[in-house]
Amino acid sequence: MNQHALTGIGAVSILALGTVQALAADTRKEVRLEIAPGGMVNVVNNTGAVSIHGGTGRQVVAIYTTHSSKIEVDQTATPDKGRIELRTHALGDQHPTSDEARVDFDITVPAGSSVTVSTATAPITVEGLSGDVTLSSDTGQITVRNVAKAHVHVRGVTAPVNLTDIVNGHVEVTSSGGAVQMVNVSGSKVSVGTANGNITYRGDCSGGGSYEFTTHSGAIDVTLPEYASVDLSARSVSGSVQNDFPLQAKPHSPFVPKSGSSFAGTSNSGLSSVELQSFSGKIRVKKQ
Amino acid sequence: MQRPHKGKLTQAKKIIASGLTEAEAIERAKGGDAESFEALYGLHKRRVYSLCLRMTSNTAEAEDLTQEAFLQLYRKIGTFRGESAFSTWLHRLSVNVVLMHLRKKGLPEISLDEALEPQHEDGPRKDIGARDNVLAGSIDRVNLERAIESLPPGYRIIFVLHDIEGYEHNEIAEMMGCSIGNSKSQLHKARMKLRDLLKLSRAEKAARR
Amino acid sequence: MNCQKFQEVLPYIIESGGNKEEEEHLRTCPACAGLVEDLRYIATQAKLLLPMHDPNPRVWTGIEQALRHQGLIQEGRMSLMGHTLVPAQTKSWTPVGWIMAAAALMAFSALLITYRPQLPPAPASAQNMNAQSATLPADDQQLVSQVSERAPDVRSAYEDSLREVNVYISDAEQAVAKDPEDAAARERLVDAYQQKEMLYEMATARSLP
Repeated sequence: MNQHALTGIGAVSILALGTVQALAADTRKEVRLEIAPGGMVNVVNNTGAVSIHGGTGRQVVAIYTTHSSKIEVDQTATPDKGRIELRTHALGDQHPTSDEARVDFDITVPAGSSVTVSTATAPITVEGLSGDVTLSSDTGQITVRNVAKAHVHVRGVTAPVNLTDIVNGHVEVTSSGGAVQMVNVSGSKVSVGTANGNITYRGDCSGGGSYEFTTHSGAIDVTLPEYASVDLSARSVSGSVQNDFPLQAKPHSPFVPKSGSSFAGTSNSGLSSVELQSFSGKIRVKKQ
Repeated sequence: MQRPHKGKLTQAKKIIASGLTEAEAIERAKGGDAESFEALYGLHKRRVYSLCLRMTSNTAEAEDLTQEAFLQLYRKIGTFRGESAFSTWLHRLSVNVVLMHLRKKGLPEISLDEALEPQHEDGPRKDIGARDNVLAGSIDRVNLERAIESLPPGYRIIFVLHDIEGYEHNEIAEMMGCSIGNSKSQLHKARMKLRDLLKLSRAEKAARR
Repeated sequence: MNCQKFQEVLPYIIESGGNKEEEEHLRTCPACAGLVEDLRYIATQAKLLLPMHDPNPRVWTGIEQALRHQGLIQEGRMSLMGHTLVPAQTKSWTPVGWIMAAAALMAFSALLITYRPQLPPAPASAQNMNAQSATLPADDQQLVSQVSERAPDVRSAYEDSLREVNVYISDAEQAVAKDPEDAAARERLVDAYQQKEMLYEMATARSLP
């Protein structure tokens, strides 16, 4: 066989192997795991996407797609099925790139389950649950929708955080640089702290709870309906404050408002406590 | 510093009369050199602005977003390590600025919730049955740009990011916080909608003749 | 396979290709073949759309103004990074102009020395901090190094956030030192430390195998 033919066969073989490798790299799997009522699902996945939604039944149905053979997903469960874990990790001595390490999860859990997710850059979406939600991501966007009567804890470095329709909840968000946006979030406690991430709230601060939004240099924007029943105070050390929401001055209050840097007052019966604090960011309260 | 021979530099790279390359301008801009930063603006403003305009279909918004993108560039240029091309890095930064703005506006993002997708009557129709006249060879770019402009925002964003700007579905999924499958589905719907719009435009033209 | 089923999977196979059954349907169904041809043509034409819009010159004016307002550039003065700026291309200072600027600077310095007004503390933004202190304390640098070994993609996020949080702690400590009885200042200091604690916890978790 002459040189050209050998080269041609070699090239074709390499091409074929490459094609097989590429086709084998994307692998979709579906796993079903029994979980005890009120059990906990823990997902650890650095890159890709994690999407969790509440469903019916007693199973966790996880569909995930891996994109290289250098990583795998471990599934473990405690003997009492009270805790299920899905964890992505590199195999052996492999050092996958970000693309190779990517795993995309689409998980359905019983609605009453608690969920804990930790990612580095993977965005996290959780919706339709009534169990506790604990989410942590460095930079991946965190989205929580339609969660009722549950604790929602979120931590992020620069991950943007979007919370929508969280009712009767206990919400704590700590975000360094990620913007935190809340629409229709209410409960006994809603506490958000950022270093320079902006905080935006649109809702009625209902439930007679305690709402605390604190930032160092981010901006705080709160939009309330006229019927909101709040006892509100806002102060910024070196930033400005602006109030476009009707408030009645509080008699016998130790809080002394300072024009341009703080204000306080109540609306309707002042049921919920709302405290807005910033060091150098601007605070604005508006009427819906 | 040895200046490269002017003849060897393309016009695009020779961004200042003194003959600085883009790489040199980046290093100077990192050090706070305002002139070099202005030169980088001149080199990249068209691409950034076009991206913002295509994604928002609004001149005023696109101008604001272009300004914000370059302000962020000024703040973050010190973190550019050269692991990717500068234009790629700036482009990604610009996309993030636009997406952040669209999120603040409360535009519907890619969602698993069918109710948030463009309404059925605005969505593309399925094409089942007899073969229609194909579009191939009949689109001019002006009509295509107009059709893209008239897409619903959710469709337009994905189409611009994937088909025009060249982002892969996994990148779009990461940026938009959705799944890859959702990104593919939305792109398909965007293309189907464009197909409807372009066929309508072609039929209107034919009727006027 | 019928057209309806084919078009349901089309979004997911149009780029990568389908299985045997799907490819067979595409070969034998003129309607679906025409549809796929149209969609691919639209995608191809989109790739040819060049960035063709230049922003209004006021965009650059806005950028310049914003940078000056934030104190990141000042014409004819040292930048916060400590480098002398190259004067802007469109403006050139005459020797008389430089002498007048120097005289104004000396007069302003004399004013500051003789009269100290009660100025509010300058807002310490992340941007200023980035410019003023390019290095983190040793502990923070070590943390960032550990993070970047295992998760290089998030290194800059941690760097930027640690800088901002250090400014937060510094501002909060100053406020408490100014008025130890200020309960709000003490709360802010606790918040600032909690932010730093969170960053360390998350970075440590990222650094573990």
